[in-house]
Amino acid sequence: MKNILTAQKIGIVSAVAFALVLPLLGFKSYYLHIAVLSLLHILLALGLNLIAGYAGQLSLAQAAFFGIGAYVSALLMLNLHWSFWLAAPVGAVVSGLVAVAIGLPTLRLKGPYFVISTMGFGEIVRLVFLNWESVTRGPNGLNGIPAPDPISLGFMTLSFETRTESYYLILFVLFGVLLLYYNLVHSRIGRALRAIRNDYIAAQVMGIHIAFYRILAFGTCAMIAGLAGALYASYIRFISPDTFTSGESINILIMMVIGGMGTIIGPIIGAVFLTYLLETMRVFAEYRLVIYGLLMFVVILYMPQGVAGMLGDLWRRITAHQKKGV
Amino acid sequence: MFQEVVQQIVNGLVLGSTYALIALGLTMIYGILGIVNWAHSELYMLGAFVGVFMVVTLHLPFLVGLVLAMAVMAVFGMAMDLLVFRPLRSAPEMNMIIGTLGISIFLVQAAVIVFSPNPVRFPTEFSDSYLSFMGISITLQRLMVFCVTLVLIGILNYIIKYTIVGKAMRACEQNSDAAKLMGIDINQISLITCAIGAALAAAAGTLVGPIFLVSPQMGLAAISKVFAVVILGGMGNVPGAIWAAFILGLAESLTAGFLSSYYKDIVTFCILIAVLIVKPAGLFGRSQIEKV
Repeated sequence: MKNILTAQKIGIVSAVAFALVLPLLGFKSYYLHIAVLSLLHILLALGLNLIAGYAGQLSLAQAAFFGIGAYVSALLMLNLHWSFWLAAPVGAVVSGLVAVAIGLPTLRLKGPYFVISTMGFGEIVRLVFLNWESVTRGPNGLNGIPAPDPISLGFMTLSFETRTESYYLILFVLFGVLLLYYNLVHSRIGRALRAIRNDYIAAQVMGIHIAFYRILAFGTCAMIAGLAGALYASYIRFISPDTFTSGESINILIMMVIGGMGTIIGPIIGAVFLTYLLETMRVFAEYRLVIYGLLMFVVILYMPQGVAGMLGDLWRRITAHQKKGV
Repeated sequence: MFQEVVQQIVNGLVLGSTYALIALGLTMIYGILGIVNWAHSELYMLGAFVGVFMVVTLHLPFLVGLVLAMAVMAVFGMAMDLLVFRPLRSAPEMNMIIGTLGISIFLVQAAVIVFSPNPVRFPTEFSDSYLSFMGISITLQRLMVFCVTLVLIGILNYIIKYTIVGKAMRACEQNSDAAKLMGIDINQISLITCAIGAALAAAAGTLVGPIFLVSPQMGLAAISKVFAVVILGGMGNVPGAIWAAFILGLAESLTAGFLSSYYKDIVTFCILIAVLIVKPAGLFGRSQIEKV
């Protein structure tokens, strides 16, 4: 047990250290762009993991909440000239409130109702972005979205114009989200969610309010996605409906499933790994999805906890072996 | 105005027929096997491609091609049961959905690679003949979609109600453990169910392929509507699915005709959410209390 903990600690510390020094290692700017996208995908996959991995209800609307966050914060900045630091949280909260509205009728029910509603909802959000031209400028999208305002610390000023600066901004947001996420998952709420996932009726008998916890999880999931959307809009400076499709929702799902549902480390591994493949292997896009589709089936069937679960098993086997040797 | 209304009603019936044929297999597979088959509309897409192959490439008469496409896809459906559903049967519901979603992505992309992503035209001997009546002209193909659908629903109804296989299917749907005790081979029944479901989806694809176009994405476009139909009809409820399919088909084509085609997908979704709020068991379903 001690071994696992120390190994985990070493792993986490080295991953954090690597993430912190990454922009200083002199990679090409393109790879830094992939790193930024990976961080955003980690946020999206972690959000999805909350409702799918912990609460056991699959959502196919993650790209829609990503888009709502992006559009709301971008429109507030462009039309009302709000600061990013105000617009981004508002974008995230709007995203979360929309999720609560969708969750209220659908998350009370047992069965596949929720996943089907989220799929329909995702499609509608995309149609709204595409057709509400007076606000969203339709297929042309919104351009000229400002970067976050610089923050003055007195002795120095933090600006967020360049790619490296954006990378650090998103990285620190991710650290903050991870801290809250870890505490949420290991709190009473996280336990309640897992209890509902594992045995619906037993959880109900124990007095867990099923709809409440599920809606809470879904709202949080959408807020994280909305936050990622606001960060994305201010990083890339241009958003259009093409980014927020059901295909993107499925990409996020694949990241979470292959990385490992119901773990914290899994979505991170999946998002980093698949974003890299996604960006560098665009040529093989058609074949990529054929493989991912089959992989998703095989993973869910034979190792439902994905790569993270597999690594955990492997580590347990090694330590068990060592103990026997001693 | 009158002609416009009739035209939209005809379109609605065609759309409803498509939804009904796809939804029947989906709701039966859910009722009998307990599988939420996200890949079901890919059977419709593949069925359309098999239909194109039979009718356009091999120059077979349309109805012969239709029957052959159904037969080919019935075999495919059985393969799907063996390779996909059977391993997933004991998995949690969400894992089933993710697994079949993976299969759906696989089939769509495989179709893109094999058939190219571009839509294919599917001309048949009925495409160019019109039936004119009181100033309204309907292509024979549209009329045929509706008539063949009715015939297929009739045959399915006969199988379910009056044959020994149908009786076994109903028994499995009501209580699979009790059915097993009565000596019903569940594996065999699920094979038959998948074959029927896949054949019906293939019939839908081959029937409407000539009206719309045939493309690898046609299944993705249909799946959320078909799920909406299955929920409205009550999950696992066969007659409910048929009624719900025609209601949604008509609602959608009337909205597209008289409001805007942009609203037609939104209408389906609003009906779905409204039903989930008011009567979650579906318009035609009875709510059940789960027993331990």
